[in-house]
Amino acid sequence: MSADRFWRHATLWPAILLFVALTILPLANLFALSFNDVEWVNRTPVWNWVGASNYQKLPDDNLLRAGLLNTVIFAVAAVAIQMLIGFVLALLTTQITRGRGFYRTIFILPILVPGIIIGAIWKLMYSYDFGVLNQVLHVFGLSALDWLGSPNLALLSVIIVDVWHWTPFCFLLLLAGLESLPDDIFEADRIDGATGWQILRDITLPLMMPAIIVTFVFRMILAFKVFDEIYLLTGGGPGTATEVISFTIYRRFFTEDQSGYGAAMSIAVIAIIAAMIIVATRATAGRGSKV
Amino acid sequence: MLFRNNFARRALQSTVALAALTGSAFVPAAAADQEPITIVINQSPWFAGFQAVVEKYEEETGNTVELDVNPFAGSLEKQRTAVRSDESPFDLVIMNAGFFTEFYTGGFLDPLNAIDPEFKLSDDIYTFDDSVCWDAKAARITCETGELMSVPVNPNILILHYRSDLYQEHNLSVPETWDELLENAKVLKSQNMYGISQRGQRGAFDVTYDVFPYLWAYGGGIIDQQEDGSYRISMNSPETLAGMEMYLKLAEEVGHPSTAGQTQTNVIQNMATGRAAHIGSVLAPGLFDNPDKSAVVGKVDYAPPPGTAEHGSATPLGHWLAGVPKNIPDANKKAALAFLTWFQTDEAQRAYAEAGSAPVSRAVLTSEMADTQEFRWMKALADALPNARLTFTIPEASQVLAVTELRFNQAIGEEMPLNEALNTAATEIAKVLEDAGYKYQKLEDLN
Repeated sequence: MSADRFWRHATLWPAILLFVALTILPLANLFALSFNDVEWVNRTPVWNWVGASNYQKLPDDNLLRAGLLNTVIFAVAAVAIQMLIGFVLALLTTQITRGRGFYRTIFILPILVPGIIIGAIWKLMYSYDFGVLNQVLHVFGLSALDWLGSPNLALLSVIIVDVWHWTPFCFLLLLAGLESLPDDIFEADRIDGATGWQILRDITLPLMMPAIIVTFVFRMILAFKVFDEIYLLTGGGPGTATEVISFTIYRRFFTEDQSGYGAAMSIAVIAIIAAMIIVATRATAGRGSKV
Repeated sequence: MLFRNNFARRALQSTVALAALTGSAFVPAAAADQEPITIVINQSPWFAGFQAVVEKYEEETGNTVELDVNPFAGSLEKQRTAVRSDESPFDLVIMNAGFFTEFYTGGFLDPLNAIDPEFKLSDDIYTFDDSVCWDAKAARITCETGELMSVPVNPNILILHYRSDLYQEHNLSVPETWDELLENAKVLKSQNMYGISQRGQRGAFDVTYDVFPYLWAYGGGIIDQQEDGSYRISMNSPETLAGMEMYLKLAEEVGHPSTAGQTQTNVIQNMATGRAAHIGSVLAPGLFDNPDKSAVVGKVDYAPPPGTAEHGSATPLGHWLAGVPKNIPDANKKAALAFLTWFQTDEAQRAYAEAGSAPVSRAVLTSEMADTQEFRWMKALADALPNARLTFTIPEASQVLAVTELRFNQAIGEEMPLNEALNTAATEIAKVLEDAGYKYQKLEDLN
């Protein structure tokens, strides 16, 4: 091995060691924990080997089942709406010649607000007795809605908050994608007499596909991990109407102090998210090569 | 030249003198004789009173106390992490009645007499079903054979809050049974007023805590006979069903349209804004008589929760206990004990009440203070406390609560029929007990 090649490898080692220490070891510890139950005796943790029984219990866990279903509904619905609104806003912003910076700043404001404040703002707005939304309904002679307390409305209410919060993320990434597209193709199309709709369908969308897929994957991964909005707005209720997987893990792991079972649940969810990333990455690579 | 004129010099001299005077005003009356301590505590309606008492302690003794304030569930997790670490950052943990057993069974706390053999619980302080003592050998709560492990800091129990002005206006009597409460609530219910506002949302120990007075009033419960180790699951007994039917009847006929979504904060807000004629809540009397926070100043009165002619009235103990972690330095243990010694004094307990929170001293609750309008809640509290009961005495309480919080909430929100919710919960509780190695009795399913 030449000295140059040796040094190239040697300089990588600190990063590899850090990666192992900060990512692989905690994951390995979590994996080991998932085959045990932890009991505290005289201030000492005692790990009792239980084999795969923590994993075997997972399919029977009603909270986990509800959490998985709600998380999928939440992620698909919220991200689809965010992508649509974000893309439309990004398209409109690229058409603006004066004051584009101003609009860009306005559109990204919600993403700058801390989650705890978003929770407080929306909880007040959704309040059955004092919330502004029900007061508006009252003005129009309509009955008050139980935004967070009704099993039929609660998940939709949380999705609305998530759309408000995260649409700017999609807007920013898609705007960056739109601004990086080459102008000459659009100019040539306009000279050829293409309509706005034709340009959007045949030029903009295909060229934007890699950016759209990357944004979609990023948002799906983040949406799958939603926690703060649920914790602050509904606590997973009413019943299991807004139970999501992160909240179920938090509840089992920390509130109920079932660390072994919580670890098994965490490993299962990591596996699901990893599978999602692999599928999405392959889809992105495929689409990217076609464009 | 530093000063251009006499005015500037005089101004500076005055400022220095004023600063010296002001500074001296902030020097504590006494010099500190204990290590500074940190207390981990939850943000509750009674927290303001505790904070005021801590400030008084600091002022009188010169000792320093830092408060680490958290939401209910967050506080429990912080306490667990602290007592399980090499050295706890907290010198006193304020544990809730629902969860304190796990701190005793895990061996995380020092018996108070191991820190100071002379330390004792004042005779005036309630022991709340002996929950302050733990017999490690027998693994049970008892002051007969157990050691003193904690000192109560707040006597949280559910108390009926009602609009005394409306009771007077409509010539109503304070209800002693749930049926009487229902009748009164029907009279007071209007377009702008709920007959009653009940907490129904699921949380760490929320809806379960609030339904206990209904269950016990009809002879029901969740797990009975925990003290003698029989563990009879009464969650799906006909008596529990009757109690829950009364809860739901109140919710449907005179209650809030969104009972399943109501938190403790919502319930208290409904009373404070004049939207509810009755609530069942832990005491926060300072709030309702504070004109900055309440639209019903002087219009709320208090009574023990209603019951039934057959079983009387009972209310769940949701009290808070202060314990000293094993994993802190000896000097901090002594400092924590010094605070607890001072906290039990008549002076501290009166100050606690004056700051708007309920004291744990029988002497103060039955003192002349109780006869005044400001402290009218004391009589209700003193009357209800003899019938207050512990809810769970097993360290797996948090797992049982996860079951009951969900199933009660589903029944209240009509996501699941009541019978099915109770049967399902009973099966799930049996699983928790079985996995933990308890012998238990389970009833036949309700039809």
